[in-house]
Amino acid sequence: MNLQQIRQYMPWIALVVLVALVGIANPGFLRPANLLGLAGDIVPLFIMALGLTFAIYIGGIDLSVQSMANMITVVASVYLASLGGWVAVLCVGAGFALGMLSGFVTTRLFVPSFISTLAVGGICFSIAQWLSGNRALNMDAEQRNAVFGWMIGRTGIIPNELFIAGALLAICLFIERRTTLGRAFKAVGAGELAARASGINVARYKILAFAISGALAAIAGLMFSVKLSGGAPTIANGFLLPAIVAVLVGGTPLTGGVGGVLNTMIGTLIVAVIRASMLYFGIEATQQQMLFGLVLIVAIATTIDRSKLRTVK
Amino acid sequence: MGGILSRENIIRWAALLVLLALIALFTALNPAFLSQRNLARIAIAAAPAMMVALGVTFVIVMGSIDLSMEGAVSLAAVLFCLLFVKLGGALLPWGWLAVPVIVLFGAFYGMLTGLVHVRLKIPSFMASLAMGFVGTGAAVMITGGEIVRIGDSTFRMLLTWRILGYPLMVYVAIACIFVALFIQKHTVLGRNFYAIGGGEELAHASGVNVRAVRIAGFALAGAFYAIGAIFQVAKLGQAEAATGANFMFVSITSVVVGGVALWGGVGGVWNAVVGVLIVNVIANGMVVIGLPNFLQDGVLGVLVILAVVLATDRRAVAFVK
Repeated sequence: MNLQQIRQYMPWIALVVLVALVGIANPGFLRPANLLGLAGDIVPLFIMALGLTFAIYIGGIDLSVQSMANMITVVASVYLASLGGWVAVLCVGAGFALGMLSGFVTTRLFVPSFISTLAVGGICFSIAQWLSGNRALNMDAEQRNAVFGWMIGRTGIIPNELFIAGALLAICLFIERRTTLGRAFKAVGAGELAARASGINVARYKILAFAISGALAAIAGLMFSVKLSGGAPTIANGFLLPAIVAVLVGGTPLTGGVGGVLNTMIGTLIVAVIRASMLYFGIEATQQQMLFGLVLIVAIATTIDRSKLRTVK
Repeated sequence: MGGILSRENIIRWAALLVLLALIALFTALNPAFLSQRNLARIAIAAAPAMMVALGVTFVIVMGSIDLSMEGAVSLAAVLFCLLFVKLGGALLPWGWLAVPVIVLFGAFYGMLTGLVHVRLKIPSFMASLAMGFVGTGAAVMITGGEIVRIGDSTFRMLLTWRILGYPLMVYVAIACIFVALFIQKHTVLGRNFYAIGGGEELAHASGVNVRAVRIAGFALAGAFYAIGAIFQVAKLGQAEAATGANFMFVSITSVVVGGVALWGGVGGVWNAVVGVLIVNVIANGMVVIGLPNFLQDGVLGVLVILAVVLATDRRAVAFVK
């Protein structure tokens, strides 16, 4: 086994080692109920990271996911009363459309994705402020339970969020591994110019990747607002950093082409375990962001494929 | 090229024309826009953002990008307040020391960003974004989520002492613009920024130490962020981990709208100045004519896309990530 092969399994090894470390320090951590609860709590972040994976997989980045989720919490809270269950369609549709807009601006107007998604994020933030009147909104508890109650309950000891996460992961994995769409994403991420030369409509697939990212960020926002039974224009702030960390730590490098959604699941679990371990080791929550920032730098530095960057700008 | 409508001329003057048109538009809609009080309001709002925009201009001219300003401003503001209080809580006799110390700290922080970017070979947008998270995180950690206040009336004179109707801060900001202009036009460093932005390999081949210049560019940007942070503290009289919030989007928008090209080598300090004024005139004008100010971020988002699109030379771009 050479270094390259080991590298592929690094995220798995890191996860097992982390779980073991925390488990030894605090055996209570390993109780199934605790682990399941931990996994259930991280689901909105996981769904967001799942979408972000596609944007990074093709070699781009989506910095709008957090603003998107913010906006969707507001949209869901405002329109639940009038639309009922159809509000989910509205949310996912809005996410998909705004993601497409990011992709369109990136590919057709030649704006780098980190700027185009930043700009679309600004638009989302405005919409959220406008719809909410800049206040925190509450959902009607009865209606929320009637329409979306199934999202947040438990079946046995398993939180229902995990079933949703599992279903979305399965769909994404199917897209990535078993469809021409997934193949095209890989081709674009592995080498855009080569992909174009082989006749792939690169722009169309990139737009689709950003649209998927937007749609999944919207689902994350919807679930988050159901969990909190409300929404606000800044309620999901703090999601962006761990979402990027989850994707990169999982082993999908910024340069794209390798890794994938399964890696993101591992990455998200690593993030969850790090968070939980901070609790057990008495590290204050105020230090969390700084730690994740440093983890992010290390993760990028160790995963990025430098042969793809002619000059590092 | 050639002719009055050449690409260069459009890039040079378009932003200024937009600024004048906006001022004319808002004045026509509400003459109070051009009142001295309102202009002073715009100037005060623009001063901290101007410093941040000047800093990031140097980085963008190099063809890199710096997204660390939110963390840098928050951290510098918090540290400035704490140090100021520690030095006696008054500008005299010792409080003033906090100013140079924090500007140096800003430069050091920018240098760290530059080192992460250059030494670890991480693309600058991600290296700086991560360093920004670290900065905000450090500010949260230091303050424990609390607000740090400065009550010294001598220091607050930056805001309260008015000359010809404009507070002292505005004059200091103008002085900083000239410093930035001097660095851009009359120093080797300034010209090297353009050399790298125009073509990194060519610059390298001509003997420019590309890595050192890049790190210096980020350090310079960090120093300007620190000045911006000090202005922000003077304006608000307090600092917290959220002091730098929203600086990233606004400053990048300003610089790009002003006509500094994202791929480097084009535009400079004047473009950034015009860009910051455009953004602040829009923000203020929307309030003056009675539009809700939350439309701002959306308008800026559309504006930044438009600006990049207009400034991009399609023939020169093979593909975009």
